[in-house]
Amino acid sequence: MSDLFVLAISCIFINNILLAQFLGQCPFLGTSKKMETAVGMSMAVVFVLVMSGIITWIVDVYLLKALDIEYLRTVAFILVIASLVQFVEMFLKKSIPALYAGLGIFLPLITTNCAVMGVCLININEEYTFLQAVIASFAYAIGFGLALILFAGVRERVDLGRVPKPLQDTSIGLVTAGIIALTFMSFKGMV
Amino acid sequence: MREMISMIVVLTVLTVISGGLLAAVKSGTEEQIEIQVLKFQKAPAIESIFPDVTNDPIADRFTIKTEEMKLQVFPTKLADGSKAVAFETKGTGFGGPVGLMVAVNINSDKVIDVRMTAHAETPGIGTKPKEDLFFVSQFTGLSIMDTDFNLKGSGGVIDAVSGATVTSNALCTAAVKAKEVYQKLKPEIIKQMK
Amino acid sequence: MAQSLAKEFTKGLWTELPPFRLVLGLCPVLAVTKSVENGIGMGVATTFVLVCSNLLVSLLRNIIPAKVRIACFIVIIATFVTIVELLMQAYAYPLFLKLGIFIPLIVVNCIVLGRSEAFASKNGPIMSVADGLGIGIGFTLSLGALGAVREFLGNGTLTIWEGLPVFSMGPDFLPFRFMLEAPGAFVGLGLMLFLMNLIPQK
Repeated sequence: MSDLFVLAISCIFINNILLAQFLGQCPFLGTSKKMETAVGMSMAVVFVLVMSGIITWIVDVYLLKALDIEYLRTVAFILVIASLVQFVEMFLKKSIPALYAGLGIFLPLITTNCAVMGVCLININEEYTFLQAVIASFAYAIGFGLALILFAGVRERVDLGRVPKPLQDTSIGLVTAGIIALTFMSFKGMV
Repeated sequence: MREMISMIVVLTVLTVISGGLLAAVKSGTEEQIEIQVLKFQKAPAIESIFPDVTNDPIADRFTIKTEEMKLQVFPTKLADGSKAVAFETKGTGFGGPVGLMVAVNINSDKVIDVRMTAHAETPGIGTKPKEDLFFVSQFTGLSIMDTDFNLKGSGGVIDAVSGATVTSNALCTAAVKAKEVYQKLKPEIIKQMK
Repeated sequence: MAQSLAKEFTKGLWTELPPFRLVLGLCPVLAVTKSVENGIGMGVATTFVLVCSNLLVSLLRNIIPAKVRIACFIVIIATFVTIVELLMQAYAYPLFLKLGIFIPLIVVNCIVLGRSEAFASKNGPIMSVADGLGIGIGFTLSLGALGAVREFLGNGTLTIWEGLPVFSMGPDFLPFRFMLEAPGAFVGLGLMLFLMNLIPQK
């Protein structure tokens, strides 16, 4: 039990997916200009990441490893993720329109979000058990949301300041992200 | 309807071609990849365990297959004439699997030395603790038949490297696994070494 | 013809230079640029995928039905990514170990899918190859440049091949280790973007 707790903490803080592993940078910079979009994106990622983490783990263990065709992993995973995203989109549209209204526009973006694919690959590379893979996927997603929402908060404030023109927008955004990454570095050595 | 069929046909054909192409590339590179893995992951560990042996343990390697596992064994002969083998087992830390190359003297059933082997790292993730020579030297001379290779905290005889408890634990797990493997496969290893 | 070909090629080197002008595909840019060698290795792998997938997408652009085009593009890209992965494992194993999961992740690099969708699905094969090559080389140079800045400041060396530094500041150099850590990647890229913005665009 405590092992799983340590795993969760290290996935959320120490190996934070955005600030330590550099996965999912496109939505990190793209959807962090407004708090609203940042929250929407985070929710969509939590949803898709946990589901695809579970499904790709099952596909890998019971299909790819069983048939000894592990070299098709990249192709298989991206197809699973792409079709999962499509399916989730259709399902939400029909069954839970309220949730779809909130997450809808972010879902297509998630297919090319390397955070999702990255976590699925990490789960396999680190040889996690099923339970560990579920916990890790969820914790990475929470870490994604945490970093994205923190960053959006800071970025909204930075935009109010007078930033020199060449430094505006992405440039100052990256420097800000660097400073937030610095604060996350202090979690190193916690486990 | 026609559109639907053409969609399905194109996607299926594309996936089949992709699968076939990849299978061809895979079988073409398989041998080369195995050589590279041996050269960069296992060779450094084996060379540092057996610094001056007369044969090439990597060229002389053989594989033992049982129902549950496949084990690559690297045999050699020591200076005093006794036979020795090295093989790799894995333990899991939070930073992913850690490989441990274990060398055993077959005549005396004692551990000669152990080494950590290289693994793919994720850039950005904190680097794995460097090999600690004191840590690996603790294994030397212990009997692989009846030593408890766990950390002292869990009832064993090994001291953890401070600041790298998780990795130490993973390495100890690998050593415990090596003990099980060796005890089970020893007759088979001796048979194949002739 | 020759002129427009040259235009498609050179736009990737300056006006649409990824990841600076087109802020896409940042994950590998930040993650693997701890040394020049890693950066260029990643860039070359991405260029290969970009050129091959652009060529194939443009050849098949009239056969692929519009509704499933993204799925088809993804299959094509994923195939080439796996080929690169296998080839690197076979012939450049140390580099493969260093780049780790970022090789399979080329498949979700927005630049590659973006070029298939925005360019190769609308243009002929020769143009598409020129476009892929230009963007790929631009990407490689950017990665190499960021890698050079980070490695030089963080370690005092510049490494091009097989881990052997071609240039070293010697033992007296006090390295600025921050640049090799995660925050240094963000700040380094942010400041390079700032410098590029200082140069006025036409």
